[in-house]
Amino acid sequence: MNDILALFRTVRARHFLIAAALAFIALFLVLPLVAVFTEALSKGFAAYGSALIEPDALAAVKLTLLVAAISVPVNIVFGICAAWAVAKFDFPGKSLLVTFIDLPFSVSPVVAGLIYVLLFGAQGWLGPWLQDRDIQIIFAVPGIVLATVFVTFPFVARELIPLMNEQGRDDEEAALSLGASGFQTFLRVTLPNIRWGLLYGVLLCNARAMGEFGAVSVVSGHLRGLTNTMPLHVEILYNEYNFVAAFAVASLLALLALVTLILKSIVEWRFDYHRRSVAH
Amino acid sequence: MIRLENISKRFGGYQALHDIDLDVRDGEFLALLGPSGSGKTTLLRIIAGLAFPDKGTVRFNAEDVTNLKVADRKVGFVFQHYALFKHMTVADNVGFGLSVRSRRERPAKEAIRARAEELLELVQLKGLGNRYPAQLSGGQRQRVALARALAVEPQLLLLDEPFGALDAQVRKELRRWLRQLHGQMGLTSIFVTHDQEEALELADRVVVMDHGVIEQVGTPEDVYMAPHSPFVSNFVGETNSLPVSVRGGQTQFFDRVIDVPANTIPDGAARLDFRPHDVTVCDERPGCLPLLVTGVYRRGGEWRVEGEVTGIDRIIEVDLDAGQAPPEIGKRLGIKVKHAKLFQLSEARQ
Repeated sequence: MNDILALFRTVRARHFLIAAALAFIALFLVLPLVAVFTEALSKGFAAYGSALIEPDALAAVKLTLLVAAISVPVNIVFGICAAWAVAKFDFPGKSLLVTFIDLPFSVSPVVAGLIYVLLFGAQGWLGPWLQDRDIQIIFAVPGIVLATVFVTFPFVARELIPLMNEQGRDDEEAALSLGASGFQTFLRVTLPNIRWGLLYGVLLCNARAMGEFGAVSVVSGHLRGLTNTMPLHVEILYNEYNFVAAFAVASLLALLALVTLILKSIVEWRFDYHRRSVAH
Repeated sequence: MIRLENISKRFGGYQALHDIDLDVRDGEFLALLGPSGSGKTTLLRIIAGLAFPDKGTVRFNAEDVTNLKVADRKVGFVFQHYALFKHMTVADNVGFGLSVRSRRERPAKEAIRARAEELLELVQLKGLGNRYPAQLSGGQRQRVALARALAVEPQLLLLDEPFGALDAQVRKELRRWLRQLHGQMGLTSIFVTHDQEEALELADRVVVMDHGVIEQVGTPEDVYMAPHSPFVSNFVGETNSLPVSVRGGQTQFFDRVIDVPANTIPDGAARLDFRPHDVTVCDERPGCLPLLVTGVYRRGGEWRVEGEVTGIDRIIEVDLDAGQAPPEIGKRLGIKVKHAKLFQLSEARQ
């Protein structure tokens, strides 16, 4: 009798937990997503479309793509180098390097932006030197790229370090012993071994690069059509009570998030499959 | 011929190898035998060019290759855990060494594939070229690793614990097969093992190592029958040790004289080592060792008798002919040591 009661309780507990989780997701994730699209389409598809092809909106989309197109490859190179160094070699200061890689996660993005203003701004350390040479970093595209690179640089490295650590050096040594050059070894042995982890890191890195607000907001200067990325443009439009346009641009970011989510699930699934097949 | 001169290697504060001198003859099957931490794997990696000595020279046929990288030494290396490339098929794994050659020396794709098939046939894995390593058993993976190493036609084959990760049955089969392959291909092979049985069974010569130094180099027969040091005697084969003293060519265990000649050992403390099978029963006569039987079990054609000897706290093991009745547990048994090895002990070693 007690057993049945206990079973009933666990069944009830399970239902309760599942319902709570679903309700939470609906309230905090699905509802806002639906709201974004309803608001964006509240004046019909024509208004939605014209909000997107408006020159400032197009400029914001272009700038966002440009920033991602620069910062993601930079972080791929940096992430692979850092992970390689940490996983395959022993050197003094290794744990310090690992700690520093995590720094952008623990620092507020606004602070990250301010660091660059402090360094490259007109009153900053390197400001006068840059001004003499007519180089503009803050309130210009280079500053936005720098801030984005800073904020996104742990993603690839963090994903690869444990993976490469686990894989050890045997495969690389085997390739070298068979006469492969260092580059051949990297291309034909290391890269295939880390490809799924790398792809996963790149997806997260890209999503963050396109969605970053805080750090970019500080260094951008909000020049319409020049230094506004999509998240900044959304904010400006919203502050101007231009809700349809704001939500239309926001819906693009939301779509990006959905695509990232789907790709991420596919990669995770492949990654798991790959790992399982490796672990005999 | 491979000649190692004065090889030393340090890892931080740990001396992994200490002034190693070793010659390896052409066509030889050599075992590096030792417990973990003896430096045997480090030595193998230095011969391969995967690690570099702090001091000393490595010569291949009188040519100094000490600073040559692994890719330039033309050695085949088989890793303990095989290190197969898991994203490549078995055939691509085997052909890897050929496919990374410079354009001028690289055979055509079909030629590489054909060579891979040939090697797979040699290692008895014909028809498995299109599988992935994850689809193979441990023994099969080991043979793929071997075929891959042989594809670049090395003069020297180096194997790190080649049978370590396999179960007993597969291990035995693979051992015999490897021995055969070695002879057939005319290779010089060096393998690392901590399993003395494996070393004695496979190798032409055994290099026994401990704490970064070579304790003894010799044929399995030498190493087993005439160990140079207490360590070798203990590590290679089963050994019973008794603390004894030598006085005027006589061996004494406490105040009992034992029938083992000690003419070559100076007076003083010594260690008497004997194998379980080097004994006969001799009743309680002078010159014999009294053994209190604590256990008997059958071991093939012999009785393995475990017993205690007054004065030491270790169990003594001896083998007696199973054609006779086993000794009773609790009985005293006189043991005569037929063949033994005496080691003079320095004061510190006691």
